[in-house]
Amino acid sequence: MNELINAKNFLDFLEENNFSTITGVPCSYFKDLLIYLDNGNNQTKIKHVFATREDEALGIASGVAFTKHRAVVYLQNSGLGNIGDALTSLAQLYKLPILLLISYRGLLPDKDFPEHSIMGEVTEDFLAALKVPYWILEYENWKQTINEAINKMQELQTPVAILIKKGVLST
Amino acid sequence: MKGYEVIEKLKPLITNRDIIVSSSGNISREVFHILEKPHVYLRGSLGLQIAVGLGIAIEEKNRKIIVILGDGSFLMGMGSIITSSYYKPDNMKILILDNGKYFTTGGQKTVSSALNFPKFLESIKGSFKISKIASKNNINNDLKRFLEADGFSILHLKIDSGKKDLSNIPWHPVEIKDRVLKKLTLD
Repeated sequence: MNELINAKNFLDFLEENNFSTITGVPCSYFKDLLIYLDNGNNQTKIKHVFATREDEALGIASGVAFTKHRAVVYLQNSGLGNIGDALTSLAQLYKLPILLLISYRGLLPDKDFPEHSIMGEVTEDFLAALKVPYWILEYENWKQTINEAINKMQELQTPVAILIKKGVLST
Repeated sequence: MKGYEVIEKLKPLITNRDIIVSSSGNISREVFHILEKPHVYLRGSLGLQIAVGLGIAIEEKNRKIIVILGDGSFLMGMGSIITSSYYKPDNMKILILDNGKYFTTGGQKTVSSALNFPKFLESIKGSFKISKIASKNNINNDLKRFLEADGFSILHLKIDSGKKDLSNIPWHPVEIKDRVLKKLTLD
């Protein structure tokens, strides 16, 4: 089995990169990260806001971006279908830099979860169609990948996405 | 009272530190033309006004954030009032102007009359939660109590349909963002 990115290291890295808030809708692929976030003893200064929908999370992150702070949104790729308008008529239109962490469901490990299969097939096309730059996260060079994404986010002042497969942040 | 008449009554009550998040269509246009500038005038993303207000409120704790939206937008993003009520930022105020219609798109009905607002507001967390019919006799007092209440506040007003003939917002959304960022940086 591949090594996992440590949840504390991952959040510390986001904090070092000036993200002040994280909000979203959970995925089991992020389980360790979310457990760590909600552990009252942890040291992270990042605020965690539970959202009811993915577009609400993007709305909250957009509000954060109106203040010069930065927010991270986490969601399953199934939730991509919910954020089209939040992207195109809010975050992209107003040029609000936001980091999206999207679980890449519907690949081989999800072969028994047909609810993910169609979105799994079109996830990258979907992001490309909505002009969201994206990277696929691996354990190797994970900081470099996130750095590239953040640099692009700052350069374009727009949301960018990190796709996260099973076994990268949680088993 | 009509929506723009309520917004006119806000004029003496909004300070230059406050940030309004206004919902697409007529409400944003009215807030833009009637009140001091700049504020977060949303043009699209129906249903996300409260979410955007919550994001600003949690980062700008020393500033009042006032979300002004219609019943169509409220109903579309109804989860967000629950999320806001869960975190209930002290500096967040939500004003719902309810004419029972999607007025900007031609007056099509919404389903807002099916919701018992007083009971709904009573059931969620918040310091000030009032639902009433907007009336010229009480509006000044109602808005003052709503804006000056300590803590997370919600005011739901039943209003009549009607709009002023106002031009489109001339600022591009990026200019809106830049001006809001500047305001937040300066004071």
